Amino acid sequence: MGYHLRKVAFYLAALWAAVTLNFVIPRLLPGNPVDILMAKLQQRGGSVDPAARQAYETLLGTGGRDSFAQEYLAYLGNLLRGDLGVSVSAFPAKVSDVIGGSLPWTIVLVGLATLISFVLGVGLGALVGWKRGTWLDSLVPATTMLSAVPYFWLALILVALLSSGLGWFPLNGGYDVVLDPGWSPEFLGSALYHGTLPALTIVLSSIGGWLLGMRNMMVSAMSEDYVLTARAKGLTGSRVMVRYAARNAVLPSVAGFAISLGFVVSGSIVTEQVFSYPGIGSKLLQAVQNNDYALMQGIFLVITIAVLGANLVVDLLYGLIDARTRDRSTAS
Amino acid sequence: MTWSGKLRAGLGLAGLIVLFGLVGPLLTGDPATIRDIGLTPPGHGHLLGTTIIGQDVLAQLTHATRGSLWIGVLVGVMATVLSAIFGIVGAYAGGVVDEAFSLFSNVMLVIPGLPLVIVIAGFVPADQRGTWTISLVLAITGWAAAARVLRAQTLSLRNRDYVAAARVSGEKTWRVICVEILPNLLPILASQFVFAVVLAILSEAGLSFLGLGAADSSTLGTMLYYAQNGFALQREAWWWFVPPGLVIALFGGALSLVNFSIDEIINPALRERIRRRSDVVATTPVVEAVDEDAVLTVSDLNVVYQGVTPVHAVKNVSLTLRRGEILGLAGESGCGKTTLAYAINRLHRPPAEVTSGSVVFDGVDVLALGPEELREFRWVRLSMVFQGAMNSLNPVTPIRAQLQDVLRTHRPSLSTSDREARCAEVLRLVGVDPARLGSYPHELSGGMRQRVMIAMALLLEPQVMIMDEPTTALDVLVQREILNEIKRLRDELRFAVVFITHDLPLLLELSDRIAVMREGEVVEYATAEEMYLRPQHPYTRQLLASFPSLTGERGALIR
Repeated sequence: MGYHLRKVAFYLAALWAAVTLNFVIPRLLPGNPVDILMAKLQQRGGSVDPAARQAYETLLGTGGRDSFAQEYLAYLGNLLRGDLGVSVSAFPAKVSDVIGGSLPWTIVLVGLATLISFVLGVGLGALVGWKRGTWLDSLVPATTMLSAVPYFWLALILVALLSSGLGWFPLNGGYDVVLDPGWSPEFLGSALYHGTLPALTIVLSSIGGWLLGMRNMMVSAMSEDYVLTARAKGLTGSRVMVRYAARNAVLPSVAGFAISLGFVVSGSIVTEQVFSYPGIGSKLLQAVQNNDYALMQGIFLVITIAVLGANLVVDLLYGLIDARTRDRSTAS
Repeated sequence: MTWSGKLRAGLGLAGLIVLFGLVGPLLTGDPATIRDIGLTPPGHGHLLGTTIIGQDVLAQLTHATRGSLWIGVLVGVMATVLSAIFGIVGAYAGGVVDEAFSLFSNVMLVIPGLPLVIVIAGFVPADQRGTWTISLVLAITGWAAAARVLRAQTLSLRNRDYVAAARVSGEKTWRVICVEILPNLLPILASQFVFAVVLAILSEAGLSFLGLGAADSSTLGTMLYYAQNGFALQREAWWWFVPPGLVIALFGGALSLVNFSIDEIINPALRERIRRRSDVVATTPVVEAVDEDAVLTVSDLNVVYQGVTPVHAVKNVSLTLRRGEILGLAGESGCGKTTLAYAINRLHRPPAEVTSGSVVFDGVDVLALGPEELREFRWVRLSMVFQGAMNSLNPVTPIRAQLQDVLRTHRPSLSTSDREARCAEVLRLVGVDPARLGSYPHELSGGMRQRVMIAMALLLEPQVMIMDEPTTALDVLVQREILNEIKRLRDELRFAVVFITHDLPLLLELSDRIAVMREGEVVEYATAEEMYLRPQHPYTRQLLASFPSLTGERGALIR
């Protein structure tokens, strides 16, 4: 099997696992989600006709009326049609609409912050590894300490200092609420202004991992023969560092980028809670607090698909930067 | 700080925090007692002040530390056991089991953890969300990364000789795993455990902060949750909000110090401190070369590896290389011949230092060159072919880029097409099809890679080429081809060669003159003919007798 085909197959398998987990979890855990949902729906003045109940049962389990296989097929069928059910907490909005409205916020915030953190961390890590034995070494323990700090604690303290104390940044939210969301410069500026501190906290707490990993790989790469050869060739120091040492040392970090995305998305849920950011993470929490199981599951699925998709893209890019992986047909 | 210093500091700090969590609750009283002195700043009665309803923060902190540590250890143990099962057993069993386990680990790894935890925690009613449930969920979502590392390690251990021997001798599988494999994985398991504990404490804090923590226990996370919901920061009650986070940060920091030192135990390359100082400590004034024909003159060169016990790797070596000559440098592994070769080009790295002597290259005092002059000198005047071409070529770029790099740096005026033409020309010189320029090193055979290295060394038409065991890693036939190639190129292009090998009979055939090195010293230095007919030093005779030569007959002639 070719490299690309194997990667796609793996992510299809992972997607299937996630979808199935999503199906199994509400059925295995205690409690009766369908009854809770129906009660909620009634409170909100929603229809309690049998059709609504049946839709939720397809999602969360019928309590033994239909066989497992029947339920599973019906569930997969709904997913394929893009039907994730109706949200209770945002009744009568459909789950897919709720997600559609909040997902872009998260993707832009988390995507940009992660990219900045990766580029900065890997760049600094390469430099720290290359200039080993200088004062730059002290960056390693400093940034590692930052990673050991509970993220939300750091973020809240920064908010207290920079937003409440100094007033440099807004306290919370994704944009100035007096503005209408759209592509106007005022709105985009406001979104950027509101996103800066959340992004900064994400970068601060995640940069240490990249830096340490890259620095350690850099130290190993520098003792490789091809770096010695490059030096013997009389190449300039920066060329040896970038084209030979860092170019090889970065490979595990790129491979690790895919895996870390899961952690990043996890972190963003907390970020959004801290900053009351209008993204998908705060919607997930809102769903949990309101027992909005349909929304909960829909968001979990979308997050998983987003992470898997990003992973796939990174893996395919990896094949481009390391020719050896394309030619090897073992190990996933 | 040395690695043992880090280990001590980390263990000490972590130990203090554990002690705080274990003993603290016995000394500080009931954390739940409500008093009417809400939000009292730290002072006499209450060392860390009180919460909004007058509970003692210090008492809460000790109990919460205990709760967090307990969850950390629970998750740490469970996650480590899970990763060991999926990583070690799978890799050891191999075949379908390994494929399945590895697929499962990888799938678990890419499914984002916290959203899954939140969904699971969301379905479990709050009153049933206990410490054990939360720990189990955190363990289930947190073992996969460690399993991957363990699998890779086990795979490499599995193929080691002693493990193979144990298996062949019929030992039971569980015994091989427990006795032969596990002990070697201990440092990694320990590091994974430490990592899992920190991650668990952080995750639990995050969950509790989100209001999804364990209902039945007090942890640092729940403490922060209450502090946040009591608007501790907005009321400037920092003594309520800061300490729990600080305890987590200190504990995490301490354990990452421990992990640093474990890393350094596993990978000594990370450990050694490199002192940044000059590669040349002292040189002897250059005396005018006596030999007009000499292109490279090494006089009284000394190289020392500075360490706790300095190793004198090259002792008072003097050599002369004439234009177009092949000088053989022979000796067993570790005799200092490679160190000597590197020192000539100043490629040696700390802790190696040139402590005295001189290297003169065609009138240029190499040891006195500044960094930029040295860089311009390298490859233009003197190029090198290293042992093991597989590792000398950059694995991630095509060979075209690696050849062109040289021209781009040293001949910046060359046009793109001229560069390409020159690269093709040198490849043709060494008998490699120029169509191979687009190939990556792993796509070439061993012999072809070595030819590419020689082509690269020819690019700038240097006066001298140092070849460090260029044929050792190749099979005998390819070795013969390459040697013939070198001789032919030397005759055509008239460069001089320093040829380093442990194979003295080979040198007798190839070189004009030969230096035999032993323990850093040149013990015999003569023409090849002289050395073949009348070896003077007993060590030379020993060397000649002990090697079966390429042709298989010459070594036998010497006794």
